[in-house]
Amino acid sequence: MFKKQITLKEPKGMDAARFGFFMILPALVFLLFIIIFPLLASIYLSLSEWSPLTGGGTRWYEAYKFWGWLSNYWNILRDADFLMSIVRTFIIVAVVVPVEFFIGLGLAFLFRDNFVGKKIFHSIILMPMMIVPAVAGFVFYMLFQAQGPVNAVLSVFAFKEVSILWLQGTWSAMIAIMIADIWQWSPFMFLILLSGLMALPEDQINAALILGASKWQRFRMVLFPLMKPVIVIALIFRGMEAVKIFDAIWLMTTGGPGTATESISVYMYKHGFKHLRWSWVAAGGIIILIIITLISMQALKPIKEREEEQAA
Amino acid sequence: MANIVLDKLVKRFGKQVAVNELSLEIKDREFVAILGPSGCGKTTTMNMISGLLKPDAGTVRFDGSVMNNIPPGKRGVGFMFQNYAVFTYLSVYDNIAFGLRIRKMETEQIDKEVQEVARLLQIRHLLSMPASNLSINDMQKVALARSMVVKPQIFLLDEPLSNLDAALRNVMRAELKKIQQELGQTTVYVTHDQVEAMSLADRIAVMNFAVLQQYDAPHNIYNRPKNLFVANFIGSPTINFFEGRYRGGEFNLKDFSAGKMSVSKENKKQVDDSIRGEDIVLGIRPEHLKVGSSRDGVSGLKAKIVSVEPLGSKTIVYMHPDGNPSAILKSSMDSDFKPKIGEMTSLIINEKNLYLFDKKSADLVMRFGS
Amino acid sequence: MEQKLYVKVLKFFLIVFVTMLFFFPIYWIFSMAFKPFPEWTAAGGKIYWFPNNPTFNNFRAIFSRKLEMSPIAGTAIRPILNSLTVSIIGTAIAMVVGIFAAYGISRYKAGGNLPFMLLQLRMFPPIAIIIPIMIMWAFLRMIDTWYGLAIIYGVVTLPFSVWLMKTFFDDIPKELDEAAIVDGCSNIGAFFKVVMPLAKGGIASSALFVFILNWSDFLIALILTDRRWTTIPVHISKLQSAMVGALYGPKAALGMIAAVPPIVFGILIQKYLVRGFTFGAIKK
Repeated sequence: MFKKQITLKEPKGMDAARFGFFMILPALVFLLFIIIFPLLASIYLSLSEWSPLTGGGTRWYEAYKFWGWLSNYWNILRDADFLMSIVRTFIIVAVVVPVEFFIGLGLAFLFRDNFVGKKIFHSIILMPMMIVPAVAGFVFYMLFQAQGPVNAVLSVFAFKEVSILWLQGTWSAMIAIMIADIWQWSPFMFLILLSGLMALPEDQINAALILGASKWQRFRMVLFPLMKPVIVIALIFRGMEAVKIFDAIWLMTTGGPGTATESISVYMYKHGFKHLRWSWVAAGGIIILIIITLISMQALKPIKEREEEQAA
Repeated sequence: MANIVLDKLVKRFGKQVAVNELSLEIKDREFVAILGPSGCGKTTTMNMISGLLKPDAGTVRFDGSVMNNIPPGKRGVGFMFQNYAVFTYLSVYDNIAFGLRIRKMETEQIDKEVQEVARLLQIRHLLSMPASNLSINDMQKVALARSMVVKPQIFLLDEPLSNLDAALRNVMRAELKKIQQELGQTTVYVTHDQVEAMSLADRIAVMNFAVLQQYDAPHNIYNRPKNLFVANFIGSPTINFFEGRYRGGEFNLKDFSAGKMSVSKENKKQVDDSIRGEDIVLGIRPEHLKVGSSRDGVSGLKAKIVSVEPLGSKTIVYMHPDGNPSAILKSSMDSDFKPKIGEMTSLIINEKNLYLFDKKSADLVMRFGS
Repeated sequence: MEQKLYVKVLKFFLIVFVTMLFFFPIYWIFSMAFKPFPEWTAAGGKIYWFPNNPTFNNFRAIFSRKLEMSPIAGTAIRPILNSLTVSIIGTAIAMVVGIFAAYGISRYKAGGNLPFMLLQLRMFPPIAIIIPIMIMWAFLRMIDTWYGLAIIYGVVTLPFSVWLMKTFFDDIPKELDEAAIVDGCSNIGAFFKVVMPLAKGGIASSALFVFILNWSDFLIALILTDRRWTTIPVHISKLQSAMVGALYGPKAALGMIAAVPPIVFGILIQKYLVRGFTFGAIKK
């Protein structure tokens, strides 16, 4: 009996560390396969001036014949369209993320109370998030047509026929795209902030109330610091996705008029797949990767800290 | 300082009545415990005093002025929450300073006040710590300090000791009593623990099912329980009840086959005068119900000893009346008493220790021997 | 603190209004899907808020062999099946690989920085590395195949499946698998016999969540597919007609078909959406 107990405490098979390694092995292989090669190929291509047009179809490995060192980087960093697409993307992010945050926060506050049909309203508000972004783009393409519902509603308020060519104007197209994004992703903020609000320790707020804190003081001195981790997470994850914006733009304006609504992704897609400038786009891709890596290393810090805190 | 008057307070949550027509007067500097089982409405009452809840009817008055529409922060109350509600994201210092900062006090003054209250509660060494890492008893002291530092006239405590372990609870109980006596605020203390209520309070308000059952000094609550609920709720082990009928100077007790107990001549008139119906319940506290063979007051009632709990200072004996397993009796005996399990024994009941309740209304009809 | 009645009523109307605002675009797809051609736009000077003459013609059009008004045409059955196939297989890949990795990370602290590498991966715009992937796929003859697209879907959603499953495994007390191992189970046995059955709910909701993500993709399918394996979003974007411009009705009909599964699944796993979208950082 005694002997048996001892042998049972030893796990059968391999030791824990090796077992753990085998468990993550498929993921690791998968990632290396999908990251290492593309990364190396990207760097290789970006240093050449090869393209399917000049270099003969798909023989990309012969790119050394068109070697150009850093010429792509040199040129793309002086390419106004490329730089503008970066600036534009960050403008979009800088506008939509805060707006989505405040809409989400406002809604979350409204949903703290109980009211008739709360569950149904809750489900409906979450729906935009579930819509395929390309479909959402198409809907807003319809909505923002000169003879579409948006202008029809505006006409009612303006007491005259409004027929703005939303998607044909430089700024109006940007606004339309932002509105589409805000429609689709405010629910995301709402969802996260509401769950943060519902998880708030009610007693701490009541304690502040009894200590004489006004509504604003309660928000600033209790609610906000308690919500901060959730807010940070919501902003980071939304910002992260917003940078990639492509689908809605492509369906609404395909980056137009001209290049007025080209985001990073739209620019890269156009140059890579309409103009087939592969080495050019490869260089752009590397630059974007560097920028995003720098940003994300900062952005993921709070999440990492939180994870370590929870593990401790 | 301040006295509190609650006048016919009513609070409903949906269809459920949480507090029903509660009237209570708490004197200045008094320490009152609201005692009752969970769900009896005691916390709801407390929240109406603090202002966290608004009564549906009735008034809350502090020193004569109606508080119903005064927000909690302006009522001059301190509140200690059951889980302490310490601001987890702040340091201990900032926790204590919170209320002072809201009051826009000067920084130096804040520092002085914080240091002083920290010294009083012996938590000065904790001031720079983040409040989230505190032990449960330190957390309690921080919560106490935070509400004390703004010098409330009224102090409300919601089960403040229920999260502590038994030993610490005794220490903190003494501490609370001391602080209250020093500072002399009017204090309302919600608890489900009768020992806390009995030991701390000047007066106890016993609640059940949203209704105030009795409001009196601790010894009166114990010795003159107003009804069956209070009698049963207060006292450990709980009081023994005998159901039965009263007729012509004799109690006929249900659980005993030969269950007749006659009333002495001197008490008979009083019983006859005060009794309301034939159906009665007799109560006797375990420390008054003795077992043994011969002595004064042998009642002629018998019970079978089923188990014994030696507690050191005394011994609790559990019995079935007449061996009838559907009822249980408790007797608190001296610790040198060595009963035999399974033995049939006589019950010794001294008439002056009996409580007589009317079964229908559950009210106390009379207390013998007083 | 309780609110005054008029505040409550005001708030309620605000909620109703905002909800309607959020619902309107969804309504517009659904109503457009049933509108006949003359009601598509307000070109006639009148906007049609409701389908006045509801019709199934739009659905008929997208499912017909050759779209009447469109030269590019083709039935939408194929893209729908493609979307289903590729999303399901992509989800399966992400889940299988993800479950193992998540278990290794949750229980054996394996992989070191792997979880954060995965998060970082999720931050990169796919477009930045899609060209070399396309090159690689062309080399392996995987362009415009179901497996070519499904594998990429598996990779792109792997961060979600790993992080989500990690949080679900973290929720299961470690003592349970330790007890199983002490009782003579092997490591892998403890995983399959004890942990997996307990994580069933978590696995199901994670899988639905990952499915929604895969189903929603547009860009990757746009690049890596051509004719045979176009998915619904790609098909929608390509439904054009030289004669009547954008085919509102048929596109909306197809958009409606694309919208339904994620909405249904989303409502089904509403409880876990927060966890999903925050990679489990907020569990609620």
